[in-house]
Formats: sequence, C-alpha cells, structure tokens
Amino acid sequence: MKTFEEKWTAWLDGQLSGRELVEFESSLPDLAAAEAEKRDAQKLRVFLKKELGAQALSNEEFFSHQLRERIARETENRSHGGVRSSWWTIPRLVWSGATALVLFLICAVAFLGQHQPGDQSEYLTQILNSKVDPAANPNATVSIFESKNDNKVTVLWTEGLQSLPADYASK
Amino acid sequence: MQTEATPAQADVSELDLVKRCQAGDAEAFDQLVLRYRTRVFAMIYNMVHNEQDAWDLAQDSFVKAWKSIGRFRGKSSFYTWIYRIVMNVTIDWLRKRQIKAGGAEFDDAIQIKDIDPASKTVPKADPLPHQRMERTEIRARIDQAIAQLSPEHRAVILMKEIEEMQYHEIAESLGCSIGTVMSRLFYARKKLQNTLRDVYENV
Repeated sequence: MKTFEEKWTAWLDGQLSGRELVEFESSLPDLAAAEAEKRDAQKLRVFLKKELGAQALSNEEFFSHQLRERIARETENRSHGGVRSSWWTIPRLVWSGATALVLFLICAVAFLGQHQPGDQSEYLTQILNSKVDPAANPNATVSIFESKNDNKVTVLWTEGLQSLPADYASK
Repeated sequence: MQTEATPAQADVSELDLVKRCQAGDAEAFDQLVLRYRTRVFAMIYNMVHNEQDAWDLAQDSFVKAWKSIGRFRGKSSFYTWIYRIVMNVTIDWLRKRQIKAGGAEFDDAIQIKDIDPASKTVPKADPLPHQRMERTEIRARIDQAIAQLSPEHRAVILMKEIEEMQYHEIAESLGCSIGTVMSRLFYARKKLQNTLRDVYENV
C-alpha cells in the first residue's frame, strides 16, 4: 500500500498509469491546484538541472594522476601486507607447532636418557636388597637406603616380612 | 546515465573492465574512473558545496571502490554500485562535519562560499560582470537551500533531478527502499519549492 507521498511523487514523475492514475487524481480535493504544483515542480527540476548540471571537474588529468598514485601506493601496501599475512597461514602455523613439539620431545627423550632414574635422587646412593630366610618369609625384601651427604641418614625398609628372625627380636 | 567515455572506450563493456579490475588491472580501473569522474565529482560537489572537499571525497570514493571491487558481483550496474560508495563516503563526511559543528542544523553547518570565477565548475562562457554576479547569487541561493536538507534528502533530489536516475537505482545506491526514496523526494521537493520559488520563477 503506497502512502500519499509515494503516490504524489510517482504522479509528479509521470509514473502512475491506468487505474492507479485515475484513482489518485480522483482522490485529490483540487486537481487544478495539484496540476499547478506539478508544473511548479517541473520548473524546479529544469532550474536545478540547468544550474547544477553544469559542474565540471577542473584538472581532470591531474585528478586521475593523483588517483593512480594513491592506488599504486595502496596496492603496494596491500601486497606487502599480503606477503606477510600469507606466510603465516593457519597450515603453516600448525606445521610450525608440530615441528616444535617433535623437537621438544626428541630433546626431552635425549635428556632423560642421559639421566637414569637412580641418579635422580641426591639422597639415596645405595639400595641393598637381601632376602631373609626364604623358608620363613618367601616374599620378604629388606632394603637399606643411605644418604650420600654428610648427615649419614640410613633408612631400613622391610617388605613382606611375616615374622622377624629370632636374633632380631627385641628383648 | 551518460558517461564520459569516447566511442572507442564505450566499446569495452563495463563488465569486462570490472573483471579486469578484479584481476588487479589498474589500467582498467583508470578507464572506469575516466567514465565516471566528472559525474562523481559533480554529485559530491552539489552535496558539499566546496571544490576541494569534493575533490578529496571523490578521490576517497574511487580508492574505496578499487579496494572493494573484488566484492562487486554484478547484481546491479557498476554506476549504481559506485554511487553507493560515493553516497556512503559523502553522507558519512557530512554527518561527521555536522557533529563537529556541534550538531547544528545543516544550513548552519555548511557555509556558502563564493565560487571562484576562474574555476571550471562555473559555466565556461564569459559572462558580463553583472551576469556573473547574478549567477553567483543564484548558485548561492541553491546551495543554501540544498544545505537545509539532510544528507539523505540531498542525495535523493540530486540523483533524481540531476542524474535522472530511476527510483530503484537511487534505492540501491542509498541502500533503502523505493518507498523511502519516493517519500524523501516528496519532502525534498516541497522544501526546495518553498525556498527557491522566487528564484526559479524569475529566472
């Protein structure tokens, strides 16, 4: 549904025809006044066209020259930016990350291989395993941990001992 | 819509030129500029009423067109597309200028400046001094009247009355509906009729 303004504009510009034109003109309270306003609008159109249509661009060639230079600069900047950004594409980033991870793992394995677990502790230098009487304690293990530092700490660790030997028994 | 192209240039279709531009051919873009530079400049000049500003805005519009020509899909004509860029650039500029002017009405925000008689933007015939003065006065009255319109109303009236564009072309250029274009035309014409009647009745 067109508004009055839309219909009026279309009527002024000769865009209404047929039933729409008849309906619109019959809806106008004063067709003669409307026709006068239409003529007035046409005068305005001719006047504006005459007064504003004569604009010309001075120094047209310089305008194009300046524009060409600006575009060349923009293109150059864009291509530099493009090289930089295209190098760091997502696949490249993924490959770089994966390569760095592999290198890290290789270094880590090599480093760990050089350092045995036994040497990791600064405190335990010796583990002495000895079985107690296998008949009485078949699963028993006795370990002695000694500190390599000067404080001479010794830890006796027993496991699976079902009964103490008679000579170890406290009195 | 008429362009500046010579018959030989007109043989090269606009779409071919656009395709070459999209492939990065700056020479093809130069040809498109040649076709539209005067009209683009005149349209902007009539919107902003200052030759230097119009020059800069026309340059900005073409640079923007070059940067975004890859996104032109050919759904509308090239000139509708470039007019859309021109209108965006110019209306944005006018809005910013209005904000800088402290939100003043448009007739206050834009000063009417005397047109340099040596400029090519005035008719080339050598008028007599009193004729020149009269033309300058008429031009100033028109500029003053147009300056009272909002940027969108200016754009609509200039595209319709000067460029003779169709409603749908104006709508595409401004990114609005045809109904909005017609409505803006209605109010812009009424306003100009009221403010310029004494001038165009006596010319």
